Amino acid sequence: MTMARSELRRRAVRAGLLAAVAIVYLCLVGMVQAFSTRNIVGGNLPLSRILLLLPSAVAASLAVRPRVRGGVTMELNMGEAAGAGASIGLIAGAAVAVGIGIVNLIGQEAVRGVFNAVTSALMLTLTLQRSTVVGTAILVALSTATGALFALAGVLAPRLRRPIVTGLTVVLLMGMLQSVVRVMLVQLGLATQWLYSVTFGGLTYLGAVASFAAGMAAARLWALRREAAAADAAERAEAGGRPRIPRAMLLVPVGFVLLALPALLGTFLSAVLGQVGIFVLMGLGLNIVVGYAGLLDLGYVAFFAVGAYATGVLTAAVNSGSSLHPGLPFLLAVPIVVLIAVAAGLLIGGPVLRLRGDYLAIVTLGFGEIARVLVTSDWLKSFLGGAQGLIAIPAPTMSVGGLHIDFRNPQPFYYLALGFCLLAAFVSWRLANSRVGRAWNAMREDEQVAEAMGVSTVRYKLLAFACGAAIGSLGGALFAVQIGSLAPSSFVFFISIQSLAIIILGGMGSIPGVIVGALVLVGLPGFLTEFAEYQPLIYGAVLVAIMLYRPEGLIPNVRRTRELHEEEVEQDAWLEGVPEPAPSMTLGEAVE
Amino acid sequence: MTPLLEIAGLTKRFGGLAALDGLDLAVAEGEIVSVIGPNGAGKTTLFNTMTGLYGPDQGDVRFEGQSVVGLKPNQITRLGISRTFQTVHLFPNMTVLENAMVGQHCRGRAGLVSSVLRLPAQRNEEERIRDRARDCLSFFGGRLSGYRHDQPAFTLSYANRRRLEISRALATEPKLLLLDEPTAGMNPKETLELTDQIWRLRKDRGLTILVIEHDMRVVKGVSDRVVALDYGKKIAEGTYEEVAHNERVIEAYLGRKAAAG
Ligand SMILES: Nc1ncnc2c1ncn2[C@@H]1O[C@H](COP(=O)(O)OP(=O)(O)OP(=O)(O)O)[C@@H](O)[C@H]1O
Ligand SMILES: [Mg+2]
Repeated sequence: MTMARSELRRRAVRAGLLAAVAIVYLCLVGMVQAFSTRNIVGGNLPLSRILLLLPSAVAASLAVRPRVRGGVTMELNMGEAAGAGASIGLIAGAAVAVGIGIVNLIGQEAVRGVFNAVTSALMLTLTLQRSTVVGTAILVALSTATGALFALAGVLAPRLRRPIVTGLTVVLLMGMLQSVVRVMLVQLGLATQWLYSVTFGGLTYLGAVASFAAGMAAARLWALRREAAAADAAERAEAGGRPRIPRAMLLVPVGFVLLALPALLGTFLSAVLGQVGIFVLMGLGLNIVVGYAGLLDLGYVAFFAVGAYATGVLTAAVNSGSSLHPGLPFLLAVPIVVLIAVAAGLLIGGPVLRLRGDYLAIVTLGFGEIARVLVTSDWLKSFLGGAQGLIAIPAPTMSVGGLHIDFRNPQPFYYLALGFCLLAAFVSWRLANSRVGRAWNAMREDEQVAEAMGVSTVRYKLLAFACGAAIGSLGGALFAVQIGSLAPSSFVFFISIQSLAIIILGGMGSIPGVIVGALVLVGLPGFLTEFAEYQPLIYGAVLVAIMLYRPEGLIPNVRRTRELHEEEVEQDAWLEGVPEPAPSMTLGEAVE
Repeated sequence: MTPLLEIAGLTKRFGGLAALDGLDLAVAEGEIVSVIGPNGAGKTTLFNTMTGLYGPDQGDVRFEGQSVVGLKPNQITRLGISRTFQTVHLFPNMTVLENAMVGQHCRGRAGLVSSVLRLPAQRNEEERIRDRARDCLSFFGGRLSGYRHDQPAFTLSYANRRRLEISRALATEPKLLLLDEPTAGMNPKETLELTDQIWRLRKDRGLTILVIEHDMRVVKGVSDRVVALDYGKKIAEGTYEEVAHNERVIEAYLGRKAAAG
């Protein structure tokens, strides 16, 4: 069924206005200009231009998606879609044009008094380095065309759309991650000139085409593999056997890559990966508390702090600001750190046992702040260094055959982080598929019923807090090793938000999701230094987008997908056989 | 011999309202007892108080001679009392099999360490939990077996949800089973089937059963004894015939109806 004209128009206008707001906002916060020098493809497509067109593209492709109204799916034909997309692009482009006009009318200086991102450089970027009128016209035209194109992509069958979208994403990623990929290729002794332009820094046109093709091919292969896997699973269900190729075999190449990465990436990028590792640990720990057990903890930074400070105090050998400096070796300190964290987890878990949902979130938020206040306080100053924090935390070292390894160096640190992450992921995975995980799950679904079915909710809540604290404290321990000194200002609420954002993006309860979430939210800003300033903004945007369009996360846990796309599938009983015409009898009728 | 369940002077108040008012009830091992009464008589409150969801204001609940007052619901379940809910409460996003496996939780011991290390004892236990859960699901024949094992509980039909709740309760390996309106929402054919199955629960599994039921044909079909409540008090007790023709019971039902109409 096609859609009524008026409805289509309304939808296009709304999407266009949203895109317009997004573009103007991105310009005014300075994000567009910040990316004007990062070329993605050739010399004419810097990230800033993509950013200018991105809102129209996204709005157009989403606005034309088929929709279900009153049980009827309404689809657009190609013409309608292109028209709607063009109007969306036009509205967004026009908004920018109006903005440019206003700035020229009032004068840049006056506008800069309020929006300091409005510079002549930004104006040049917006007008594509041309004169105001010509540049603006081109921008509006480009925006309109982009809207139309992406709207067309939006109504394509998923079988065609997915490879195209994947291809474009790969091009964008290859362009953005040029520093990473280039370094890797050089380390591997491969030529990079064909892929990345020496003059502009971005992909060459050949490179862009190759990346696009690779992305399309990958999407196609993935789809084929999924079909094959589905067929295979059906076959296996009948035969009752095991998969032909054990999944463990797939881990071998992944393992090689993981081990080779620091050598390929060099110091700076390994340091970024080390940072990602710390947040993978935070994500995995919080995932147990929130994803498995369903206890929304907004004060998770407390365990990060406990891990970091405990490590600092226990391993310090010289006067580090703490009156205690037992100077334990790192690996000996770690088990003690974990025990301390478990104790902290139980301490926090105890008082909040009776609380649920929002109340739990608010109280844990308070605990996170308490942790920060405690480490700053004069009361514990002699142990934790007060506002000055701890310094001179030694890095663990190791000597292998005369080779001295200092784990503060990014590359060895990466391996340390990798080891901790693998351990934490293994523990999470084993727990998820066990009696313990099942009990957590039941508790998350319905606490009271779980209790009535014999699950001690007190015990399993405490267990979840303790496990989450233990894994999070490993992240803290790594943090202490990585920077060698601790200040209370490192343990802010934003760390809790980051950890939560990671599991929301990746998918609650999903271990691969945590890894992807940490790579996207911590890794990308690390690789793309321009992003760092806009990190909270990007977090907010990513979270809103995920909540609206893919609430189960990027790599969902099976169960969560079911929950969020719940369709009532009535199966038998009512349809099976005709009920015998014997009505039920109430007591009133029985005695009459 | 002491009865399996012994309730003495049980009182539960909500504000000024006494949902249970000095209730006495004894159930011998192997009995099937129906609890009837008009809406709001306190039947569900009786179950909730017995299973530790509410603490009673007065009185005692003794199970196998031991008082369960003050115990947590999970401890009471472990002792051998299990229940279903008037409004179905499954774990909707867990599969059918997982739902039943949660029921087996209280019969297992595997903790954190053995789960992470997957020790042989834990593996055996997991196997056993799975087998018993399957067995409990197979009580309803093909309705909850086969491919249904791996379906999320929310996809089940209403009747199957009720059956799954019973299976989950069975999986806790109870001695006393409490069923709260098990046939509500079922069609007449399914109701008849369930009546039969309640019998079989005792015959095959040796359970003692306390069932709240509004459908008098079910009450007639399954009960050794019927207890009628009104305003939290026992107003009649005896065989189905005795209770169904009891003046006070008829008055309670018709009176309520008249007042409501
Ligand atoms: N948690 C509660 N808080 C306040 N009042 C309650 C609560 N639970 C039950 N009541 C009240 O106690 C009385 C008995 O309720 P109960 O649910 O036990 O009745 P019932 O016999 O199961 O009725 P029905 O046949 O409708 O299920 C009712 O008046 C009800 O409103
Ligand atoms: Mg009731």
